[in-house]
Amino acid sequence: MNCIQRYKIRTIVVLLSLVVAASLFSSVAFMKDGLTKEGELSLKYAPDLTVQGISAGRQTFIETSYMDIIQGIGGVREVTQRIWGYGNVGNTLLVIIGIDLKNPGINQAQAYPIESGTFLNAQENGTVIIGKAVAEVLNAKVGNTIAVLSETNQAYQYQVAGIFNSESSIYNADMIVMNINDARVFFNFPVGKATDLNVYVSNVDPANYESLINSVARVISERPNVRVLTKNVLLDSQQTTYGARSGFFSIVWTVILIAVALIAFNQMVVVGHESRFEVGLLKSLGFSTSDVIQIRLIESATLGVIAGTIGITIGILYDIVLNAPVLSDFMIGWAVLYPTFSVPVYISAQTVFLTYAITIIPLLFATVIPSWLNATVDPDIAMRGART
Amino acid sequence: MIETKNITKIYNKGKKYQVEAVKDANVTAKNGEITVFVGPSGCGKTTLMSMIGQLLTPTEGKIMFDNEDVTSYSDGWKSVFRRKNIGLVFQHINLLPNLNALDNVLVPLLCHDVDLNEFREPALDLLSKLGLADRAYFSVEQLSGGQQQRVAVARSLITKPNIIVADEPLTFVDENSARKITDFLCNLKEEGKTILISTHDPNIARLADKTYTMKDGVIQ
Repeated sequence: MNCIQRYKIRTIVVLLSLVVAASLFSSVAFMKDGLTKEGELSLKYAPDLTVQGISAGRQTFIETSYMDIIQGIGGVREVTQRIWGYGNVGNTLLVIIGIDLKNPGINQAQAYPIESGTFLNAQENGTVIIGKAVAEVLNAKVGNTIAVLSETNQAYQYQVAGIFNSESSIYNADMIVMNINDARVFFNFPVGKATDLNVYVSNVDPANYESLINSVARVISERPNVRVLTKNVLLDSQQTTYGARSGFFSIVWTVILIAVALIAFNQMVVVGHESRFEVGLLKSLGFSTSDVIQIRLIESATLGVIAGTIGITIGILYDIVLNAPVLSDFMIGWAVLYPTFSVPVYISAQTVFLTYAITIIPLLFATVIPSWLNATVDPDIAMRGART
Repeated sequence: MIETKNITKIYNKGKKYQVEAVKDANVTAKNGEITVFVGPSGCGKTTLMSMIGQLLTPTEGKIMFDNEDVTSYSDGWKSVFRRKNIGLVFQHINLLPNLNALDNVLVPLLCHDVDLNEFREPALDLLSKLGLADRAYFSVEQLSGGQQQRVAVARSLITKPNIIVADEPLTFVDENSARKITDFLCNLKEEGKTILISTHDPNIARLADKTYTMKDGVIQ
């Protein structure tokens, strides 16, 4: 610690630079990891294939008559239809999902685990289940009635049958789930059309899953006016979006890191005058070159660990306690529609180690090289050079 | 015993401003003796002392310690040799400013595989013998030049070296400190240490068992 205290200004400048770089990097990386994980969770109960209708290259309704055709393809276990879109509750825009409860494809109660109340009943219309965060923002409880405004400005009343708490915070924050019949009425969808079709394949050996998915997707794609999306495509799409956004900050961070490395190296060269004297003195007192380098390594590693720890702590506090002001708007731009949506944060060991590597490794190089150069000359030359 | 055989030091050899600081110096320093080097400033005393102290590699010639040529030692072995055998006192004192007097005395032990706590008493004892018992925990800035040099003398002795190389140790030292340092060096001589001193000071020159006079890099 005496070594670190020796050059206070240099230490403070390097420490601050590293803390800024580490906190910016870690906060963005934690958000990116959180969004990636969120994407994976949101797709956990997604169908194996999502089939959409295409008209003039854009998504449109899909004919439900395709369901029988797809059902006839080898390897397909079940096909179900879904109607979804957006609706306003108060000033909040929420996703309205209509699921076919008579032909659900999977156990929907697992996808939307009910925390209070009950799940939707296939025999009942006019009831919904809502995400926990939605319930909080609407101050809605089980048994309450909520009014949802359609795009034709018509208000529909639904009774809250249950409140679900999904693993996915996106689901919890912006989703109202209802019977497909209610959704058809709400969106004014004609009979025989749906937003998309959800395809579930037969249980197969995981090793053969991809090839089955691809072969089913290929057969469906041969039909006119359809587009087939696999889980991987949806996940890639999400990760590309967030990856590109965090990539922007990676560039900013890289610039900062280079600046930090230059500052550290510059400080080492400038302070090298004194440092050179010290190296010469230590060697004259019997220290070997490796002893001197070891001292510098410990000094730099200590500084890097302190900077990394402070940076990571600031990154975590910024993301979790402050909910990442400014950065969160950029990282999850669409979420500004949902004021209660907290930026998902995932603190992975990989990101923590990477942040420490970022704060420690450049400093080690910047410190050890000048020290090594000073330590390889005769101690008398080192001390004279420092004094003159 | 230390012997130098025709040692020469040329700075910037082969370059425009080449300087031959020491030329063909032959020196013998016996155990239990004080060997003194005198001469005007710039005559090469410090360079010669640095070469003998293994701080500077001669351009030519050999340095023998107890008949062993240490000139050809590697950098690592020279460090080990210094660590075990040589205590250095510099003209410019060269203490570490962020440490107190006691810690400065203990610094050479950091590269020895020892428990520093075991050496606190011996270090305090050395400081006490040099008249600095009440200054042990003072920072370097709080000490006068003479006191700092006495700390440096204590530092050079904490590892109990056989050879003391002191380069103009009294240059920046007051009369009181000079007397304490010279008395101390006399005691070390009685202990059988090999002591080499470069100086302008006639008081130290009087202690010499053997004196070398230098001029323009050459021993007269």
